[in-house]
Amino acid sequence: MLLELPSKPALSELKRYARRLAPALAMVGIFFLTAAGFFVIIGKPPIATLADMAMFAVGDSYSLSETLVKTTPILLCALATLLPARLGLVSVGADGQLFMGAIFGTAVTLAWRDAPLAILVPAMLAAGIAGGAIWGLVPGFLRGRLDVNETITTLLLNYVAALLVNALVYGPWKDPGNLGWPATIAFPAGSLGTFFGTRVHAGLVFAFVIALVLGVILARSRWGLELAILRGNAKVGRMIGLSFSRQAMVVMALGGAFGGLAGICETAAIQGRLQPGISVGYGLTGFLVAWLAGHNPVIAIPVSFLVGGLIAAGDSLQLFAKVPAASATILQGLLFATALAVGGVSARLRRAHG
Amino acid sequence: MTSRHDSPGPAPLVAMRGIVKRFGSVVADDHVDLDIYPGEVLALLGENGAGKSTLMRVLFGFYPADEGAIAIEGRPVAFGSPLAAMAAGIGMVFQQFSLIPALTVLENLLAASPRAPWWQSRRRPAVVSTLRWLQRLAPGFDAERRVQDLAVGERQIVELAKVLNLDPRVVILDEPTSVLTPAEATRLHGFVRDLAAQGKAVVLITHKIADVTACADRIAVMRRGRLMDESRLADRSPAAIVTAMVGATVAAEPADPPPAAPRPLLRVSALSTSQDDTSCPAADVTFEVGAGEILGIAGVIGNGQAALAEALTGLTRVIAGDATLDGASLAWKGDRAPPPSNAVAYIPERPLDNAVVADLDLAVNLDLRNLAGQDFFAGDAHRNARAAALLARYDVRPQNPALAARALSGGNLQKLVIARELSRTPQLVVACYPTMGLDINAATAVRRYMFEHAARGAAVVWFSEDIDDLLAYAHRIAVLHSGRCVGAVPRVNASRDGIGRMMTGIGSRTRAA
Amino acid sequence: MAEFDAITLATWIAASSRSATPLLLVMLGETLTQRTGVINLGVEGEMLMGACFGFAAGATTGDPLLGLAAGAAAGVVLSTVHAGLVLGARANQIGSGLAVWIIGLGVTSYYGRAFVGGKVDSLRPLGAHFADAPAFIRTILDQVTPTAPLALVLAGVAGVWLYRTRSGLIWRTVGESAEVARALGIRPVSVRLQSILLGGALAGLGGAVLSVDYTQTWAQDITKGKGLVAVGLVIVARWNPYLVIPTALLFGVSETAVLRLQAGGVAISPSLLATTPYLLALVVIILSQSQAWRAGSMPADLTAIFRSSRAAP
Repeated sequence: MLLELPSKPALSELKRYARRLAPALAMVGIFFLTAAGFFVIIGKPPIATLADMAMFAVGDSYSLSETLVKTTPILLCALATLLPARLGLVSVGADGQLFMGAIFGTAVTLAWRDAPLAILVPAMLAAGIAGGAIWGLVPGFLRGRLDVNETITTLLLNYVAALLVNALVYGPWKDPGNLGWPATIAFPAGSLGTFFGTRVHAGLVFAFVIALVLGVILARSRWGLELAILRGNAKVGRMIGLSFSRQAMVVMALGGAFGGLAGICETAAIQGRLQPGISVGYGLTGFLVAWLAGHNPVIAIPVSFLVGGLIAAGDSLQLFAKVPAASATILQGLLFATALAVGGVSARLRRAHG
Repeated sequence: MTSRHDSPGPAPLVAMRGIVKRFGSVVADDHVDLDIYPGEVLALLGENGAGKSTLMRVLFGFYPADEGAIAIEGRPVAFGSPLAAMAAGIGMVFQQFSLIPALTVLENLLAASPRAPWWQSRRRPAVVSTLRWLQRLAPGFDAERRVQDLAVGERQIVELAKVLNLDPRVVILDEPTSVLTPAEATRLHGFVRDLAAQGKAVVLITHKIADVTACADRIAVMRRGRLMDESRLADRSPAAIVTAMVGATVAAEPADPPPAAPRPLLRVSALSTSQDDTSCPAADVTFEVGAGEILGIAGVIGNGQAALAEALTGLTRVIAGDATLDGASLAWKGDRAPPPSNAVAYIPERPLDNAVVADLDLAVNLDLRNLAGQDFFAGDAHRNARAAALLARYDVRPQNPALAARALSGGNLQKLVIARELSRTPQLVVACYPTMGLDINAATAVRRYMFEHAARGAAVVWFSEDIDDLLAYAHRIAVLHSGRCVGAVPRVNASRDGIGRMMTGIGSRTRAA
Repeated sequence: MAEFDAITLATWIAASSRSATPLLLVMLGETLTQRTGVINLGVEGEMLMGACFGFAAGATTGDPLLGLAAGAAAGVVLSTVHAGLVLGARANQIGSGLAVWIIGLGVTSYYGRAFVGGKVDSLRPLGAHFADAPAFIRTILDQVTPTAPLALVLAGVAGVWLYRTRSGLIWRTVGESAEVARALGIRPVSVRLQSILLGGALAGLGGAVLSVDYTQTWAQDITKGKGLVAVGLVIVARWNPYLVIPTALLFGVSETAVLRLQAGGVAISPSLLATTPYLLALVVIILSQSQAWRAGSMPADLTAIFRSSRAAP
C-alpha cells in the first residue's frame, strides 16, 4: 500500500493513483459502518458516539495531547513489527520487548537513582533499548539459525516477559513504602521532558525521527534492497552472498530495540514507576498499525496517530460515556478484520484484472 | 495434406473442429481440426510452443476454446472443467504429476477414486480394486510406499494408473518421455500400444521422433498453432516429419569442434554432498573440464544434478572431495559458505524459482551480482541504465527495466538470467537444463551464448535432459546416476544406446549398501 | 509409606489430566484445522469465548453441561470470522487469526465483566460411578470429571477418522495440496470451512472446560495464552491426533507441578514459576524443529504459510 505521488498527473496516472487509494477509502468506510453497528449492538447511539470519539481524540488540546501520548508507544511498537516484516518475519513480540526494555531501564534507574539526570537518562534509555534488543534477538536467532517459527516464539516470550515484570515488582523491586500496590519506587519526575505542560514527552520525538530515518533507509539503501531480495527469494539471496540468518537476527534485534525504547519511555515518563500493566496491548496495536501502514515506516506515523486517537477516545468514553474500555479493543479487532478483508478482496480483484 | 475428416469410414470418437485458443495477443491454436479414433495411437507432434499441449487442454476442459466445437460420438460437448471431461471419459496425464508426495501410492489412488468406500480398511475388495491398473502396469509394486520416495518413472506409472482407474475412453499423455530413461521410455511405448489394443483412443503429445516411430499409428504435426500435416505414420519419412515440425529444413547448427589438448580448468575430485534434503546428493564425483570445453551431463532429473550444480557454485555444503577452478577451491567446506565467485556463472533450473526474485523488477534482478560492491545509498539511475543496455543486447522482451521479473515469459526469463550471468567474463559456466521448455528460437539463442563463452576459453558444465542435444553439441558427455558420475566420453565415441544404459545404472560401479 | 506414594501419584495423575484437558481439546481442534492447510491463531480468542460464555450459561442456568455446550457454540461463532476472512476474502491467515484473537479478547472482556466472581455448579466426578474400583483407580476417578476421558476419546476417534476413512483422507489431501485436491473433484473451500468451524467448536469447548469445570471461575484473559501455546504444540505433536494426548499431558504435569510449588510456600516468586509452561513449550518447540523430527510431517500447503517469506498477502 505504498502511496507514491505521480510525477506526471496524466489522466491514466490519476486513475492509477485513485485505484490505489480506493482500498484505503473502502476500508475506512466499512470500518465506520462496522463501528456504528457495534455501537448499535451495545445500545449506544452510533453517530453520536462516533462523533464523541472524534472529539475525545483531537477535539481540544488535552485530548490531542493524550492522543500523542498514546501515539509514542504505538508507533515504536509498529516499527518493532514492521522492520522484521520487511524480511518476511511475522513478529508479534513488541509487548514482550516493551516489558524487557522497561525492566532493563528500571534496573539502571534503581541502581543509579541518585545520579544526575544528564547521566541517568541516557543510561536508562540505552539499557531499555538493550533489553528490548535482547528480547528480539532470541526469536531472531531461533528463526535465523534453527528455523523456528518466530510468530509463536515471540508470542510465548510476551507472556514470559509480563510475568518477569510481575515477579520483580511483587518481589525484589517492590517499593517498601507502597504497601498495597505492587510497583517500584517512583522514577525521577520529568526525566524525559514535557511539552507544553502535557504528558507528551521526548519519546514522541524519538519515535518520529526513527520512523523517518528508517523509512529513508529502507527505501533507498542497499540494505533495504537486500532485505527485499531475501524476503522475495532467500535462495537467490544466498546465491549472491546474502545471509538470511544474519539479517533475521539484525532486524529482530533492531525491532526489539524500538520496542524496548517504548517500554522505558512509558515507564519513566507516563507511569512513573515500573508496575504491571505498563502495556495495554500496545504490542498488538503496533502490529495492527504496521499492517495498516503496509509495513512502511513513514505511513506508520499518521496511522499510529489515528489508532492512538481511537484508544485515547476509548479511555475517555469509559470515563464520560460509561462505555467500557474493552470496546476500544473490539474496535481495533474490527478495524484489523476490515483491513484484512478489504486487502484480501482488492488483491483478488487485482489478480483477476491482471 | 491428407485428411480423413470428410471421407467415409468409421466415425471419430472425438471430433474437434476449428479450435481457436488465444492467450492475450498470442494465438496458441489457430483453427485446428483434429479427429481422435478409438483403438489407435495418435501422435500429436510439434516443437515447444506449437500449441499441441494447449489443444489437448482445451479438450480436457482445462481452458475454454475461444472458437470452435468439440463433439464426442457425434454429440457436441462443452467441458467447463476437467471434472466434466473426466466424467465424459477423457483422461490426461500431465507432465506435472498431480500426486501428493507425502501420502502413499494407495492413498493417492483412493483419493482420486470417487467410488472408493468411506471406511478404508486395506482388506476390503473395493479398496483392493483401486490397485487393479497399478498391478497391471507394474506387477508387484508396493502401494504402501510414499510417493515422495518414488523415482520419476515410478511416479508416472502411478499417475497413469490413477487416470486409468476412472476407465477413460480417451487417454492423453503430455510429453511423457521427457523425464524417463530410454529403457523406461520403451516400457511406456509398450503400455501405449497395449492401451490402444484394448480399444482406447490414445493421444501422445511429444516432440521426439523416437516416440512416434515406436508406437504411433497416425501422426498430426502442429507448428505455430496450426495443423501442418496429418497422416498415417507409414506414409511419412522421419525427414518429412521433421520438416513439417520445424518448417524449412533448418540447417543443423554446426557444432563447435572440441579444443585440442585443453588446459584443465575445472577439477572435480571425489566430490560428495550431504544427504540433507530429500533430493539425491552427489556421491564421489570426479571429472575434469578443460578451458573451452563443453562437458554435457545427461541423466534423468533427480539423480543429483541439483546437488552437483550447487556444489560447484558453492551453494551446498561438500562433505568430501573438492572442486577447484584454476587451482582455487569453489567448494563450501567449513561452517561459512564461500563468497560468490566472480569467475563462476550459474544458470539454475526453473529460473523463476531459483534465479530471480520474481516480484522485484528487471533492473534489480540484472544487478544482483553487483550489489556487494555498491554504496549504501546507490541510486537507481545507474542501475536502470545498465539494465536497459543488457536487455537490448540480449534481446529480452519486453525491454522495460521497471517490469517485475514475474511478467516475463519462460524464454525471456532465461535470456535475462543469461544476460546477468554471462555478461561478466566467467571462467566456468554451470547451466542446468537451460533450454527446457523453450521454443526453438529461444533455445538456439541460449545455446549460442553458452558456446560463445566456451569459444572464449571458459569451461562449460551443461546439464541437459535431451540426449540428442548433447550428442550434437557437447564435446564430451558424462552421465549422472544416483549422484554418481560415469562416462565422460568424447562426443565421437558416444551413442544413444551407451548413454541410455549408463542412465539406468548399468556400467557404474556398484554402490556399497 | 507405599500407600502414601500411591495416593500422591494418583492425585498427580488426576490433576495433570484435568489440567491437560482444555489444552488437549484446543490442540486437537487446531491439529485438524492445520491438517487442511489452515492455521488459526484465533483459537486463543475462541477459547476465551468458550470460557466466558460457557461460564455465563453455566452460572445463569445452573447447568454445567449446558455451559460446556454454550462454550463450544461460542467458539464456533467466533471462528466464522476467521473462515470468512481466510476463505472468503483470501486474507492472510496469520493476520486473520490475530484479528480474531483481538476481537475475542475485547468481546469477552466486555461481556464478561458481569460474571467475574460468579459461581457455577461443578460436574460430578467419575468416582461416583465406579464405587468398587481398586483404591488407586478410585482416587483418580474421584478427582476427575467426565471431560477428561471425553477429551481422550475425542482424540482417539479423530485419529482413527483421519487415517482410516475417506473423509479423513480428503482432509489430508486438501492440506497437502488444494490444487491437486481440486483436480480430483474435491472442494477445498468446503473442507477448510468445516475444519475451521470444528476447530472453533473444540477450542470453545476447551475454554468452557477451563472455566466451568477446571477453575470454576471466570476472569479476564483466563486462558493466558493457552490457545497460542496449543498452536505451537501442534507442530510438536506432528499434526497427529494421537500424539496430541501425550503432548497435552506433558503440559498438564508441568502446570500441576507449578501449582504445587506455588502453593507449597517455595521461596520462588509465583510469577517466576508461572513462566515454566511457556518456557517448556518454547524448548519443546525448538527441539521438535530439529531435522530428525521434522522430515516430511508438515501438511505441504501449510509450509507456504509457516515458512512464508511474505508478511502481507
